[in-house]
Amino acid sequence: MGNAIIEAARKDGRTILSEIEAKQLLEQAGVPVSPARLATTKDDAVKMANELGYPIVLKIVSPQITHKSDVGGVALGLTSAEDVGAAFERVVANAKKAEPGATIEGVAVQRMEKQGTEVIVGMTTDAQFGPVMMFGLGGVMVEILKDVAFRVVPLNERDARQMIHEIKGYPVLEGFRGSDPADIAKLEALLLKVSSFIEANPDVAELDLNPVFAYKDGAIAVDARVVLKN
Amino acid sequence: MPHDLNRALNPKTVVVVGSKRADGYMWLRNYAPFGERDGCKLYSVQIDPNEIPGIEAMGVTNFTSLADVPGDVDYAMLAVPRQVATRVMTDCAKKQVCGVALFTSGFAETGEADATAMQDQLLQIATDGGIALIGPNCMGLYNRKLGIRQSGDQGHGDGGEVGFIGQSGTHSINFGLVGEQHGVRVSTSISIGNAIILDVPDYLDYLADDADTKVIAMYIEGVKDGPRFVQSLRRAASMKPVVVWKGGVTDAGARATASHTGSLATEQAVFSAIVRQAGAIEAHSLEDTIDVVKALLYAKPSTGRRMGLMAMTGGQSVVITDAFVGAGLDVPRLSDASYAELGSFFNIVGGSFQNPLDMGGTIGFGGSAETLTRLFDILERDENVDGIAMEMASGFLARMWQANPVSLDGLLDTLAAHKEKSSKPFAAVLQPQHVEDVVRQARVRVQERGIAVFASFERAAGALSRAIAYHRFRAGLD
Repeated sequence: MGNAIIEAARKDGRTILSEIEAKQLLEQAGVPVSPARLATTKDDAVKMANELGYPIVLKIVSPQITHKSDVGGVALGLTSAEDVGAAFERVVANAKKAEPGATIEGVAVQRMEKQGTEVIVGMTTDAQFGPVMMFGLGGVMVEILKDVAFRVVPLNERDARQMIHEIKGYPVLEGFRGSDPADIAKLEALLLKVSSFIEANPDVAELDLNPVFAYKDGAIAVDARVVLKN
Repeated sequence: MPHDLNRALNPKTVVVVGSKRADGYMWLRNYAPFGERDGCKLYSVQIDPNEIPGIEAMGVTNFTSLADVPGDVDYAMLAVPRQVATRVMTDCAKKQVCGVALFTSGFAETGEADATAMQDQLLQIATDGGIALIGPNCMGLYNRKLGIRQSGDQGHGDGGEVGFIGQSGTHSINFGLVGEQHGVRVSTSISIGNAIILDVPDYLDYLADDADTKVIAMYIEGVKDGPRFVQSLRRAASMKPVVVWKGGVTDAGARATASHTGSLATEQAVFSAIVRQAGAIEAHSLEDTIDVVKALLYAKPSTGRRMGLMAMTGGQSVVITDAFVGAGLDVPRLSDASYAELGSFFNIVGGSFQNPLDMGGTIGFGGSAETLTRLFDILERDENVDGIAMEMASGFLARMWQANPVSLDGLLDTLAAHKEKSSKPFAAVLQPQHVEDVVRQARVRVQERGIAVFASFERAAGALSRAIAYHRFRAGLD
C-alpha cells in the first residue's frame, strides 16, 4: 500500500515527499485528505478541476521553488473551468519569470476546502519509543501554547478519544461562541486511520497534517507533509 | 535460563561480601534483622584478617572464601573494591548464587573506557553464571518482612504493601523511610543501579505478580528498551496501580527534525503520554509519589469526580474548593434532600451548607461527634457526591489535642467509623500550620486508623484526583 510512491522517492534519493505524493499516499490509506493532482497541461488542469469540484486552488510544483506565493505561483478561489485554464498559464508564466532556471514539474490542482476549526495531527519517531502521534489545535494554540497531546502508535479508540479530550483547548472543539462544534467522532477516526497508516508504513519517519479542518460533520486534512526515514 | 527473582528477592541464605569497619559494617548492620530471623542465615565473606574480628563480634560467621559458605546462597551483597569485583563475581557464578546485588560503583556510569570494559566483563560472568544481577552501583534489596534493608534506619518486621523500583539509591532509601512516616510501607524495594542485567521491566513483572504488593511505585531517569518498558508497564498497570516518578525532566533542547510534530515531541511529553496510555499514574516528587500511593491504599476506590467538601471556616471553604477544582474534580450542589436535612439543624451563623459545608459553627470547635457523624451520613447518602474530603482545622485544634489527647481520639473514632461504613473515598487534610510538631504526631494517629491524611488541600486533591483517574481508566471510563 503506497509503496510505489515511497519507492519512487527512494529511487530519487528523496526523504521528503511532495505534497501531491504525501496526499496520494494518505488517500490510499483511507485518511480523509483534500486531494491534489499534478497537471502538466492546461487541459489536464481543467479536467482535474472538473473532477474535484470548485472552488479550486492551483500551486506551482517545482523543486527549486519553495515559497510559491512569493513568485506568484499560487492561485486561489477559482470557480470555473475558464478561471482554472487562465490561472494555469499565469502561474506557470510567473514561475518561469521569477526563477528562469527552475524545473517546472507542473501545477498542483486541489479543491479549496471551506474553512473549519483548524487542528493539527502529526507523527514523529521517538528514538526510545518509536512512532508517536500528536493531536492539537492549529494556529496559535500549537505554535505558542504547545497545547498538544501525544500517544504511542498503535492507537486504540480510547487513546484517540483521550488525545482529543486532553488538550486544554478542547472547549474550542465543542463549539465556542456560536461556532460549530467539531465532529469529534470523525477526528477520532482520522487519528486511528493515521495510526494504521503508520503501522503499515514503517518507512515513514515523520508526518504533519497541518491544518486539518474539522467541521460539524466531518474532518479533512488540507495540507500534508511526509518525511521518510534516512 | 530465566532468573529466579522470587528466590533472590525472598532469600533464606544471604551473604555479605566485603563488609568493613570503615563504613561501620553497613551491610551487615542493614541485614542484621534478617540474621536474627528463625530459619534465615546471614554470613559474611571477608579475607582481610583486620576486619574479621569486628564482623565476628557482631555475631556473624565469617568465611574467607565464598566457596566455604555452607549450602546454597540465595542472595549476596557485594561491597568489594572495584578491582576485585569481577573475581568475586566469578566466585558467585561458581557457587551458583541465585541473586547478586553489587554495591560497588565506578563502572559505566563514570564514562571511562576501562571502567565500562570492566562492567562488560561483569555482565559476561553474571550472564554465563545465570546470576540475577542487581546493579552495579546500587543499594540492592529492601525486603521489609525479612529485614533485608538498604539503610539501617529502614523499618522491618511486618511486610508492607508497596513495591518500589528505584534508579537512584537515595530515592529508594528515602521512599522506604519517608513512606513509613506516612503509613506507606514497602513490600519489596529494589535499588537497580546501572541495571546491566535486570532492568525496570524485570522488576515490574515481578512486582505485578507479587501477591503482597498492592501498589507499585518507581523512580526512573531513563529507559533502555522503550517497547519492553511499555509492555511491562501496561501489564503491571492492568493488574494494580503503578505510580511513576520520572527524574530528569528538563529536555536537552529540541531535536533535529523536519516536522512540526517532531519539534513538539519533547522527551517529557512523550514519556507522560506513555504513562497515561499504559494506565499508570505520573508523580513529580518523593512526597507526591507517597501522597498518590497513600490515596490508592487508604481511600476507597471510586470512579466519580464529584466531591463533598467539609471545612471549619469560610476562608478554608473557599480554598479547599479551589484546590479540588484545580485538580480537575467537581464540587457540585448537593441534593435537595441533603439541603432539606441540613436546613433543619445547620448553624448558618458564620457558616454555610452549600458545598463545602462550612461547619465550624455547627459541630463546634470541640467537634461534636454526633453532629459530625450526621454530616458524614448526609454526604454519604447524597447521590451528587462521589467522595468526601475534610479539613481537620489543626490551626485551632492541635494545641487542644496535645493538652487533651482524648479529644483527638474522639474525632478519630468518628472519622474511622465513617470510613468503615462509607463506600466513598475519604481524605482528611491536616495542615502543619504553626503547630508542626503536634500535627506530626496527630498525623501518625490518623494514619493508624487507616485514614488517608494529607498536609494540604492541594496535595489531597492532587492525590485523590489521580487515584480516581486510575480507577476510571481501569473501568474503561476515560
